[in-house]
Amino acid sequence: MLNDDILENLKKAILEYDSEKAANLAKEALEKKIDPVKALNVMTEAVRQVGDGFGRGELWLPDLVGAADAMQSAMPIIQKEIEIKGTKIETLGVVVVGTVFGDIHNIGKTMVCTLLAAEGFTVYDLGVNVTAEKFIEAVKKYKADILAMSALMTMTAPEQRKIIAILKKENLRDKVKVMVGGGSITEEFAKNIGADGYDPTAPGGAKLARRLLNK
Amino acid sequence: MAMKGFTRMFKPLEILTEEQVEAIHRGILDVLQTTGVRFESKRALKLFGKNDCQVDYDNMRVKFPPGLVEECLRRCPSSFRVKARDPKNDLIMGGNTVYFVASPGMQTVDLNTWEPRPATKKEYYDTVKIMDALPNLHLFCCYTPYFGFEGIPEVMKIPEGLAAKIRNSNKFTWSCFSNDCEIFNIKMVKAVGTETIILAMMASPPLTYYNSAIECAFRTLEADLPIGVDTGTVFGATGPATIAGSLVTYTAELLAGIVLIQLIKPGTRTFIAGFPHPQNMRSGSPAFGDIGISLFDVAFNQICRKYGIPCRNTASAYSSSKKMDFQCGYERGIPAILSAVSGAQFIHVHGGMYGELAHHPIQDILDDDVAGMIGRFIEGVEVNDETLAIDLIEKVGPIPGFYLNKEHTRKWWRKEQFVPKVADRLTYPEWINSGKKTAFDYAKKRMEEILATHKVDPPLSNREEEDIERILKEAREYYRKKGLITDEEWETYKKVLR
Repeated sequence: MLNDDILENLKKAILEYDSEKAANLAKEALEKKIDPVKALNVMTEAVRQVGDGFGRGELWLPDLVGAADAMQSAMPIIQKEIEIKGTKIETLGVVVVGTVFGDIHNIGKTMVCTLLAAEGFTVYDLGVNVTAEKFIEAVKKYKADILAMSALMTMTAPEQRKIIAILKKENLRDKVKVMVGGGSITEEFAKNIGADGYDPTAPGGAKLARRLLNK
Repeated sequence: MAMKGFTRMFKPLEILTEEQVEAIHRGILDVLQTTGVRFESKRALKLFGKNDCQVDYDNMRVKFPPGLVEECLRRCPSSFRVKARDPKNDLIMGGNTVYFVASPGMQTVDLNTWEPRPATKKEYYDTVKIMDALPNLHLFCCYTPYFGFEGIPEVMKIPEGLAAKIRNSNKFTWSCFSNDCEIFNIKMVKAVGTETIILAMMASPPLTYYNSAIECAFRTLEADLPIGVDTGTVFGATGPATIAGSLVTYTAELLAGIVLIQLIKPGTRTFIAGFPHPQNMRSGSPAFGDIGISLFDVAFNQICRKYGIPCRNTASAYSSSKKMDFQCGYERGIPAILSAVSGAQFIHVHGGMYGELAHHPIQDILDDDVAGMIGRFIEGVEVNDETLAIDLIEKVGPIPGFYLNKEHTRKWWRKEQFVPKVADRLTYPEWINSGKKTAFDYAKKRMEEILATHKVDPPLSNREEEDIERILKEAREYYRKKGLITDEEWETYKKVLR
């Protein structure tokens, strides 16, 4: 397969929500010495297309999550190569995302991750039930510009306050913007715990990230 | 004497054939035996291991032999009594008795803007009082009317809410668990001589029970209380997108919980509940008000009858509407009646707005008429010599014969008709002359009347009140020591308690 065909098929695999194919094509791209940044760009373009379709009301949540899964399966392969090469990639910023400890709600968080990636952010999705320690470790490791935390349940919402307190203690609070979301979060709660931003919707969350970084 | 509720007088609606019920049942047993359920509790795993289950201790996965599942189902009583503070409010769970339950709501709504906002402590207590006065609201659920009130720390929301319901109502209330709060809930209900059903065995779909739910189950059974097994599948997210597939995972989760309960304490009074929803494929929220909920609930009720366990339909009257409007009316009325005619013993109807994201006492009052109307329907048509009224028909004959002035009419019309408390049933001239009022206007007025006149009877004795306050104090100290109430939260909380 020609290099351009590999990239085209990689994009297509994401648009067809085919995780296995996307991962195989990512590997093939690297074997053929294709620039990993180019591979990253076509994947981001595919997710952006799905995000736009979702925004227009033509695509639905299963499409968005399907594209996110396909991208996630190929992403580590490409990211690893970029790290090895030490290439600097163009990004709007680095966002560490996760659902807080004690809370296993995944959907809203995944929507935000996908739409952030579609906007052009570099996203590190830590998953659900993420402990404070893991959030802090990821903020340091990835030099995050934004920490985005989700909590659906009223009982787990205080975890966000706890993490902001740890950021302060570790002198990280000035280095990272904090955005919060989830069913149990309100504007008032977000202000009260000292977050930089809150939005009740996933598309709004992606826009908020831009605003927080003045992009 | 017990809370009468309503009695369904006819065969329940069934939408599955016998073969379909059997296929779903086999599917459930298959999943329990081959896929299994994750139980994040060492003592639960040990107990399963001792009782012929195949236990993978590393992955905390339990696979159940079908014989054990069926044996544990047989151990569940098909009907039982639970105690309220006032014996006239005891509940008889099971059979044809149908009770209407209040829906939870995270916040209240502002009637000028319809936007949600936190309820104050006064609004919480007032709403409980209003609910106590409503004749067709038979019991409270946990988190009703609101998840909590302004100024209280998260960990105190359930204990403070339970205390409010004990103080301002004699009706039975369920409760829930979070951060060990069941310890204090159990103490409170024991202090006032009542029981509560803790929705202890709450599964986290798909096919998982966390340790906090399991620990709560152990505590509930040690206290000799009845128990609720609960789950909350979202079709297409935490369960298959198909109703049949989600019925399988949902019921498998419940049955796995029942096995644990009946192994710990055989014969425990158990009821099953759940919160089924299709996924809203745009927002990612549950699709409140979707007809898929009714298809699921009606089929689920049929399966519960096969198992002989009382069940609750939680999402039956949840609407996606943010206002008390047309959508809100049809999205709760249609599913609620389908739940009632298909054999659910408990149906959530009262007060919830936009699913369980909000609650309002005016909605409670409006819904009390919905419940009354459905209740009247399920009581069916009484056919006997007196209701057939052949002798009377003979006596009255054709025109100028007339029934309005007959004793039979005076005796029977109130039994036969349901008279709503707040619906607009005026004629056009009456309606125009009285200011074109709607059910909403009448409900608002009724709310004011109840608040001005209703008294909880009997009220708590001084000793009971002291006990409740002492237990709440104990809870506050417990959470302060554990660091779950911060200094800042404590300062705000103290102001609310004054």
